[in-house]
Amino acid sequence: MWLTSKIKQVFMVAKPGVVTLQYPFEPRPAPENFRGQPYWDHHKCIGCGGCAAHCPARTILVRDLCQELRVMVYDGSRCTYCGRCADVCPEDAITMTASYELATGSKEDVNETMELFMATCQRCGRCYDHEITNAIDRMSRIGFKYDSLEMRAVVPVSSEQFDMKLYEKTEKIKRPEKAGE
Amino acid sequence: MPGIEEIKNGLKKGFKDAVVSVEEQNPTRMFVDIKSAKVRDVSNAIVAMGGRYLVSVGYDNIARDGTLGMIHTFGFDRDGIYLALRTSVPESKPEMDSITPDIPNAGWSEREYMDLLGMRFSGHPKPKRLVLADDWPEGVHPLRKDIPWNLMPPAAEDVAYQLDECPEGCSIVPLGPYHPTLHEPEHFAIYVDGETVKGCDYRGFMTHRGIEKLCQTQLTYNEVPFVAERICGICGSVHATSYSQAVELAGGIKISRRAEYIRTIMLEIERIHSHLLWLGVAGHLIGFDTVFMQSWRIREPVMWLGERITGNRKTYGMIVIGGVRRDITDEMKDDIRNVIGTIEKELLTVQKAIQGDTAIHRRTRGVGYISTDDTKLWSLVGPVARARNVDIDVRRDYPYAAYDEMKFDVPVFDSNDVWATVLVRLVETFEAIKIIRQCLDKMPNDGPVLTELDAPIPALKHGLAAVEAPRGEVVHYVITGEKNAPERWRVRAPTYPNLQGVPLMLLNNQLADVPIIIGSIDPCFSCTDRMEVVDLRSGAAKIASQVELEELSRNKR
Repeated sequence: MWLTSKIKQVFMVAKPGVVTLQYPFEPRPAPENFRGQPYWDHHKCIGCGGCAAHCPARTILVRDLCQELRVMVYDGSRCTYCGRCADVCPEDAITMTASYELATGSKEDVNETMELFMATCQRCGRCYDHEITNAIDRMSRIGFKYDSLEMRAVVPVSSEQFDMKLYEKTEKIKRPEKAGE
Repeated sequence: MPGIEEIKNGLKKGFKDAVVSVEEQNPTRMFVDIKSAKVRDVSNAIVAMGGRYLVSVGYDNIARDGTLGMIHTFGFDRDGIYLALRTSVPESKPEMDSITPDIPNAGWSEREYMDLLGMRFSGHPKPKRLVLADDWPEGVHPLRKDIPWNLMPPAAEDVAYQLDECPEGCSIVPLGPYHPTLHEPEHFAIYVDGETVKGCDYRGFMTHRGIEKLCQTQLTYNEVPFVAERICGICGSVHATSYSQAVELAGGIKISRRAEYIRTIMLEIERIHSHLLWLGVAGHLIGFDTVFMQSWRIREPVMWLGERITGNRKTYGMIVIGGVRRDITDEMKDDIRNVIGTIEKELLTVQKAIQGDTAIHRRTRGVGYISTDDTKLWSLVGPVARARNVDIDVRRDYPYAAYDEMKFDVPVFDSNDVWATVLVRLVETFEAIKIIRQCLDKMPNDGPVLTELDAPIPALKHGLAAVEAPRGEVVHYVITGEKNAPERWRVRAPTYPNLQGVPLMLLNNQLADVPIIIGSIDPCFSCTDRMEVVDLRSGAAKIASQVELEELSRNKR
């Protein structure tokens, strides 16, 4: 009993032989559908903020510097690569690329910043909610425009009007401090 | 359904004054509101009728009616009915009877709400801190709505968890938080008499991240599946599916049949890779690394398959409320067939090679024995229960997704030891392959993969969903909220009940078998602890402070 199972085990090990891949000495491309580093196409982006409102990890920040200039920051250091931003984007401006070798010494290497010129809209100004039909994916909760880019903090306050006082307040927003820091 | 009527009449007849109302959400879910004074009697009556305790859910309802809510949930495996026993206590006097003396598995749930909501349970046999860190300030209950989600109280030194008293004549062996045979930080204090285990105390939950609170306050409905998926490093889809089903039940959402089939395929692919992973880990724990290397080699193509279908090898991110995000095309179907065909062949080789190995038999047979009655008493779930002759499986008893159309066997063994859990998991892997084949053949070709919602989900509806994870039964309870986000979301992973049964499994076993016994439940815990210095002569444990430890390590040559 013992010997036969040992013989079987030898066959079990010998038959497949060495299966170790030679990565990283040989490249190993990701499959077609891979959810790798997201890429923002600034030509297509309309700055609706839908991606920011649906990012579970809150890595996408939106800040209006003035009425015409909106800054969007993607902070890749906390991204979970779920690909929801690409799903909900009404303009298909976001693609999940196949690149996955993202280890870097500087966080800035995995960030992406876009400065978008926002035309003054004559209608409702809510492009995202106009395009998305699924009730559960409406932009209903998280406010944007006022995120603190320096502190990487999302400011969950929604306002119809551009509020200068709130804007100034968000400059000082800090993450909760850890004890001992 | 005769089942629901039977339970309803039984409760109404026995507790005319206590039962306030009975709500039938659908033929498989019932919600019973009772007065808090009778909670212990009603719970006992439900268990006597054949109910199996699942989990308790506490929630803060102070803003609405000044009460703290408590929901004990039960499953009737024979009838396929889940029952939620809802009650509440006023905030000013949040006290109710503990059900733990009769239903030992409720121990952790009740301790959890002592910590998180400040409830009190009279008659609880072990009212110690469970979830919160030892230096968390008294009187701050983080799950209450008035506590901000990002509160970080300052850390304190010189506070320590008091272990249970060591039985006379025994010594304490501290196992963990870091130990070669444990893959996550957790702490077992094992009381040994010579080499024989006479008891154990467990301290965990120290990496409790408070994601329930986070999701209730910060995220919206469709973001939670992605956090849920990251609860477990191995069975993520299970949590996302269970959460989505709970919301769908609460909101009365019907998803397309095709989406249900795709969910089933993903769940079974996950089961294959999880069981293969466990088989490897089990081999490793008993020092049989050939099994470890070979079963992980077989497992790797499943991970690549997941990557090709969903875009990621483990965190599939497929499941959202209303269906799934990606379709399974015809080319993918062929791909899946090829991969599972190879796995079936190779796993058979492994099974043949290890089944007769006397080394494995000697290390696992008769180890971790619990009687079938004890297993039922402690409400253990999954392969741990099935290896102890308890015939339960959510997929068969409470069919969800597309399991109602699947034909599969539920392996049950009666040797009540670790060896039986090995067999259960091996057989289940073959069954999973069978289920995937059926899914691929029967899957409807049309229909959307994602059903869109026309209107927002109504608020304050309750939903209870369970999914058979590789490790056992996952239960998610959702109370819908007003701001497009859940008001309360409770997760119960299968390790939660199973870990409470570990002291029983360890009893009278050898110290050397402790790792494989703990490993046999396929534990999935996260916790940290501090270090201990144990004086073997007196058997007394002394907790070294950080300063003392640093001094000790610096001075030692």
